[in-house]
Amino acid sequence: MRTLFKPLLIISASLILIAGGLFFINYDAGSTLSQAFAAAPEKAPKKVPSPPKPPEKVNPDGTPWSPAAQVAAMERAKEVPPFVKKVKDETAWERKQRLGENAPTLNDQDYAYVVLNSPIVNKDQDMYEPVRFMHKKHANVTGDCLKCHHASADEPGASETAKCSACHQEAFNPEFPERPGLKAAYHRQCMTCHEEQEKGPMGCTDCHGKNVPDHSKLVKLPKNPSPTQVTTECLRCHEDQGEDMLKSAHWLWKGPSPYTVDGEKRVDSGKATNTINNFCIALPSNWPRCTSCHAGYGWKDETFDFTDKSHIDCLICHDTTDTYAKVPTDAGMPYPQLDLVEIAEHVGKPSRKTCGDCHFQGGGGDAVKHGDMNAILYYPTRKCDVHMGDLDFQCHDCHKTRNHKISGRSLSLPVAEGARSCEDCHTSQPHHGNNLLDHHLNRHGEHIACMTCHSPVYAKCKPTKTWWDWSKAGDKKREVHKDKYGMPDYFWKKGEFLWDESVQPTYAWYNGTVERYLIGDKIDDDGVTEITQPVGGIKDAKSRIAPFKIMAGKQPADKNNRTLLTPNLFGPKGYWKNVDWDQAFKIGAEATGIEYSGEYEWEETKMYWSLNHEVTPKEMALSCVQCHESLTQERSCDRCHQDKRDVDFKALSYKGVDFKTMAARGRDTLDLVEKTDYINFKALGYKGDPIIYGGRFKQLPLGWHKDGKEEQ
Amino acid sequence: MNISRRFFMKTSAVAVGGAVSAKAGTAKAESRSRAPADPFGCLVDLTQCVGCRKCEQACNEVNHLPEPKVAFDDSRVLDCKRRPDQNAFTVVNRYYPGKKDEQNRLIPAYAKIQCMHCQDPACVSACIVGALTKQENGAVIYDKSKCIGCRYCMVACPFGIPAYEYDQPFTPEVRKCTYCFERISKEGGKPGCASVCPVEAITFGKRDTVLALAKDKIKKDPGRYINKVYGEEEVGGASWMYISEHPFEKLGFLTLPKKPLPTLPETIQHTMFKFLWAPITLFAALAGGMWVFNRRQMTGEDISEERGADNE
Repeated sequence: MRTLFKPLLIISASLILIAGGLFFINYDAGSTLSQAFAAAPEKAPKKVPSPPKPPEKVNPDGTPWSPAAQVAAMERAKEVPPFVKKVKDETAWERKQRLGENAPTLNDQDYAYVVLNSPIVNKDQDMYEPVRFMHKKHANVTGDCLKCHHASADEPGASETAKCSACHQEAFNPEFPERPGLKAAYHRQCMTCHEEQEKGPMGCTDCHGKNVPDHSKLVKLPKNPSPTQVTTECLRCHEDQGEDMLKSAHWLWKGPSPYTVDGEKRVDSGKATNTINNFCIALPSNWPRCTSCHAGYGWKDETFDFTDKSHIDCLICHDTTDTYAKVPTDAGMPYPQLDLVEIAEHVGKPSRKTCGDCHFQGGGGDAVKHGDMNAILYYPTRKCDVHMGDLDFQCHDCHKTRNHKISGRSLSLPVAEGARSCEDCHTSQPHHGNNLLDHHLNRHGEHIACMTCHSPVYAKCKPTKTWWDWSKAGDKKREVHKDKYGMPDYFWKKGEFLWDESVQPTYAWYNGTVERYLIGDKIDDDGVTEITQPVGGIKDAKSRIAPFKIMAGKQPADKNNRTLLTPNLFGPKGYWKNVDWDQAFKIGAEATGIEYSGEYEWEETKMYWSLNHEVTPKEMALSCVQCHESLTQERSCDRCHQDKRDVDFKALSYKGVDFKTMAARGRDTLDLVEKTDYINFKALGYKGDPIIYGGRFKQLPLGWHKDGKEEQ
Repeated sequence: MNISRRFFMKTSAVAVGGAVSAKAGTAKAESRSRAPADPFGCLVDLTQCVGCRKCEQACNEVNHLPEPKVAFDDSRVLDCKRRPDQNAFTVVNRYYPGKKDEQNRLIPAYAKIQCMHCQDPACVSACIVGALTKQENGAVIYDKSKCIGCRYCMVACPFGIPAYEYDQPFTPEVRKCTYCFERISKEGGKPGCASVCPVEAITFGKRDTVLALAKDKIKKDPGRYINKVYGEEEVGGASWMYISEHPFEKLGFLTLPKKPLPTLPETIQHTMFKFLWAPITLFAALAGGMWVFNRRQMTGEDISEERGADNE
């Protein structure tokens, strides 16, 4: 027996060794091939780049980052006021009668923003995250404080609007069996109203985030697991989520394009297939570089298997340690030095960091592509973005996700898995109060997108690329200069750039649909080819004036076929290796399936990029006078409204963003100081300032202007 | 089950004897009410229930029940009617009692079911070994060490609640809602389902208090509620009570007599055992059997042959 056993053992051991060696060689060659070509053309010993450090949670002044309003609201939520034993015994009607004009109003509110998270509620069970509650918004929508504050303490001098938790505390209080506990009081009140109004969130998870259980007790992984091993472990419990992911845009990089003109029924449009831009132009043939942001592992070429769940990258979205990072040139593989066990044991909800690692870095660097998104939003100040900086919004707080399909849409890409708008939360009457100014501002909402006023400049925290000229690329000897923001104006691989900071957006009518240039389309023979363009017009009732970042540049086009070309930039035969445009276009054209005639030229293109982030606080919105010059005159508001001396119309119409102060704080806004006609009415199709000439669908009834009779 | 056959025979003999003597002492052949004086009660306001199934989830957690096949936040399970079973002590069912909204869609109504913890539980009186007992705080609890697995309780329960672990070959137990007995025995303790309900559709307290609350609710809002507290009088009253805006029979509730159900079986049993005539009958029957058997042997007939002849 023994004699037989020994040779068998030796044979099997050597087999294992051989197999192991083969695997090692294979693995090594496969995973780092692209890196080798990218970083080291000569066969130098491979240098494994080290992953970037997580961003520090500090404010610009060095203090620890904390979203002020959110922290304060969380603190307030912890307070438990003294229990109100006796309440006034009266019906709602009696209460209204008694209070009359003294009923509480919007102006009596202490806090516009409240977090619902009392220790009373969490006593028995703590399954959910706290709920954000827009107190003032709710009061504005219901128009009646007494709907929620339905009773008051039966004590002389007690407030009519006590906190809910003053009367509703512990459930099943034997002394007050009829009084629901705080949790039930919240739920009954919220749900009843939402159902009655058929408005607002209805399901549990529409308001609540679920608390993620501690995964360190659930994850079972060997030491130094491979990324696919981690995914397999995730799928052990989350199989359905894996299935969902396979159908998502973040996995397929294509999908339904309901807002693209002529593409409404298509499901094949996307980064992976037929879109093009004027940054690094197109994905096909450049996979390993571009797909480093793909939510998967190893999309090296067109043969990638989109049905293989084990290649989903769960961690890129669910890392909470802030350490997970992907190699920029390795088709979506993470840095090999990372402690994947530690990361997998601390998975949780996506954050500004996980979303931002890809979406802030679009175009190959921070703030390159998006004018309104950059790494500052990891931990922004209030002035940079009021939602994220003041209220600690995470991306998913707005971009609601169902079955791994994330709502939101953009101009740059056709794929949309649901839309999101400011009005979803803020209603179509976002300016609360019932004074004249609110009335006018709410009316503005019919014709102007929220961001038009609430984001007077984009890239206000960090410069963004606004011009990219590929025709200048290839000059390795050209000296690189830094512009006034310290950004390079040239790179031999890419060409010439312009960067811009605190830029006035371009305004255009936008009804939500986009005209889009797709790979293979003919270019515009006279003038600039528009790769993406918002659709809308002054006569289109659905259109509103919206702000856009314009990305312009020069990119290659086929001289004879009149199509934009998609160069192969990255890889062994790419332009960045051989500086050979002709070869780059040939390979690129093959990969995209378009024809390349052999002759190329440089075509000027333009892209519109929507601006939805970097929402400024209301005190930094555009002021009336920045658009309406007529309101700079002393008595302009008085013309329509009776002279009310207690209202300082002038101060009111000047209230808003002050570019001078911004410039003093180091922003590049001096050119905008004292600018009027900010959104350029004539370019938008108006005869001029609508206050003088009338709005787009009606003329002012005053008839005091000379040529206002003409049809608009 | 750590109960010896000998011990069981002994205790049953004593129990039978005790019952007989006790009953023999009272002239009436009716059962005595086991209802505790001041039990806890739960009031379920079905008009509040939103069908979220958080009660099921909480029940699962506090009783350490196995994880369900379909997650608790998946409301598709409401598409079919369910009964509590050995792995789920409470379930929520959805009904469409016929009421419609403005868009002519049927408005759903939800009803949570679990052990009603009757004041005079039929299961307790049916249990021949005292494995089920009615506690002072209102809970009807189960002692697995006493159970012999006869499942009379399952037959006796008018609500069809007790479930049996048919899938456990060696230590099967009768399973049902425990009223979170151990939790409510503690000061300020509440049943898991009641404490978690996000809309407080369940009110927990002393039975008298919640019954008064139920009546008060009906009185204050007669347009909202039908004038009935289910469980107040059904089968002698239960610790769980319901108020609703729909007739209870439309929500899967049985129409039951007011009299406690134990009355009937106990009357029969107690009549049977009165004056010891049942054992006498038994012994007589046995004696008769023996006599027949003996006679056959004495006449020398072959029993197997006789059987074979019968079969032909």
